[in-house]
Amino acid sequence: MSRDSNYDHHITIFSPQGRLYQIEYAFKAATATSGLTSVAVRGKDTVALVTQRKVPDRLIVPSSVTNIFKISDGMGCLMTGMGADCRAQVSRLRYEAADFTYKYGAPCPAAVLAKRIADVAQVNTQSASMRPLASVAMLVSVDDERGPQLFKVDCAGHYLPFKAAASGAKEQEAMNHLEKKAADMANYSEDETVRAAIVCLGSVLGSDFRGGELEVAKVTGKDGKFGVLTEDEIEGHLNAIADSDA
Amino acid sequence: MASSGSGYDLSSSTFSPDGRIFQVEYAAKAVENGGTTLGIRCSDGILLCSEKPLVAGRMAVPASGRRVHALSSYAGAAVTGFLPDGRQVVARGREEAAGYLDSFGAPIPPTVLAERLGSYVHYFTLHGALRPFGASTLMAGYDTAEKRHSLHMVDPSGMSYEYYAAAAGRGRQSAKTELEKLPLQPGGAGVTLERGLVILAKILHMLFEEGRDKPFVIEMGWMGVRTGWKFSAVPDGLVKAAEVEAKKELEDEEGEDDEGEEMEE
Repeated sequence: MSRDSNYDHHITIFSPQGRLYQIEYAFKAATATSGLTSVAVRGKDTVALVTQRKVPDRLIVPSSVTNIFKISDGMGCLMTGMGADCRAQVSRLRYEAADFTYKYGAPCPAAVLAKRIADVAQVNTQSASMRPLASVAMLVSVDDERGPQLFKVDCAGHYLPFKAAASGAKEQEAMNHLEKKAADMANYSEDETVRAAIVCLGSVLGSDFRGGELEVAKVTGKDGKFGVLTEDEIEGHLNAIADSDA
Repeated sequence: MASSGSGYDLSSSTFSPDGRIFQVEYAAKAVENGGTTLGIRCSDGILLCSEKPLVAGRMAVPASGRRVHALSSYAGAAVTGFLPDGRQVVARGREEAAGYLDSFGAPIPPTVLAERLGSYVHYFTLHGALRPFGASTLMAGYDTAEKRHSLHMVDPSGMSYEYYAAAAGRGRQSAKTELEKLPLQPGGAGVTLERGLVILAKILHMLFEEGRDKPFVIEMGWMGVRTGWKFSAVPDGLVKAAEVEAKKELEDEEGEDDEGEEMEE
């Protein structure tokens, strides 16, 4: 390992083992720094996003703390990682989506946007002067040709479509939980999709939530608009989950 | 854990093995060394104030070396930390506000301005050839369309939040403790601008320690119902009056503490 240590500093340089340490560190910054875990689930005609809401300071106005962002009418994303990097990523996502619509006169499909952002992220992994952004994006929309879409784009420029995905501190545990239900997800109704995401987060964090501790968003149907759920709506889902357990 | 940096702290474009960007953390330390800067979102306006140590003694013209600036008619900022860096952020804020007015024909909403400043400051945390700003900016703004005033703070990492009250610079923790006592949350009674002047002066004087700190002058800026929501400097007379009132209240409170001690005997 000590032989590798000279290569850690510059991302253009591979270590003798062929690793790019700066990217690995960027991943660590993205998953470990915020301490939050996020989950996304794709159902029959809905994609749902759930994450923890932690206001870092009592003096901060809670509504200004969010990890869920609307990219366009029918597309949203859930960001995990260093705050300012996430916001920079969202800015770029919004710009690219709007530019697509301007050029081609149609809403930008999630697959196209994911690829574009991944390509942009890759540039930072091959240039000496810029560092990768420590943020992982989960892009969701309901495509008019392909149905519900969920793409995860990470610091290194990987992007893949998922049936369900998690990112953040407890990413691995959440993915294990989701894998068990993956086969059924394709038939989940809107409510089932949202609740599956909430249940996963709850089981991984080992705690019950109140409405104010979660951020939930979804997009349903081909003409659906991406929207964030109100605290009451979240409470409704939490109650339904508690009732079905009891 | 390479908590001392040890090689990973030389540029903004380097992550440490545990996923930290030390240059940004060091920039935050530069802010902690700066003069105390406070902001409150009052029910009828926003107040920004900054402690200005009298470093040049009597030779400096009192009004020079400003730390509280107007960005546009309906937005103002107070900076702390490495002041030349703060000036750059303020300059950018003014450009953004003027550019927005030019492009869209309306005053820039504070949330948009805060986002723009945040993303500008963030850019300097990405490149190896640049260093982060060693300054935090408290920003007061009025949204003419929504008729809503808000207080924001942008830190050296480029992150910005909206605040009920904010503190940056020396003594930040103690200042925050005092600010948290105020009824600023939704449902609370709120604080008026007039009362805010005294509260902020009180906090600054409370943090001042004879012998350790240089004597200082308080610079205050505000916007509110009484200024037609335009950001401007608080008139000197009002600042002085607030300081007098603040000192009196601090003395009275000390007096009460002394009484308590006497009674224990």
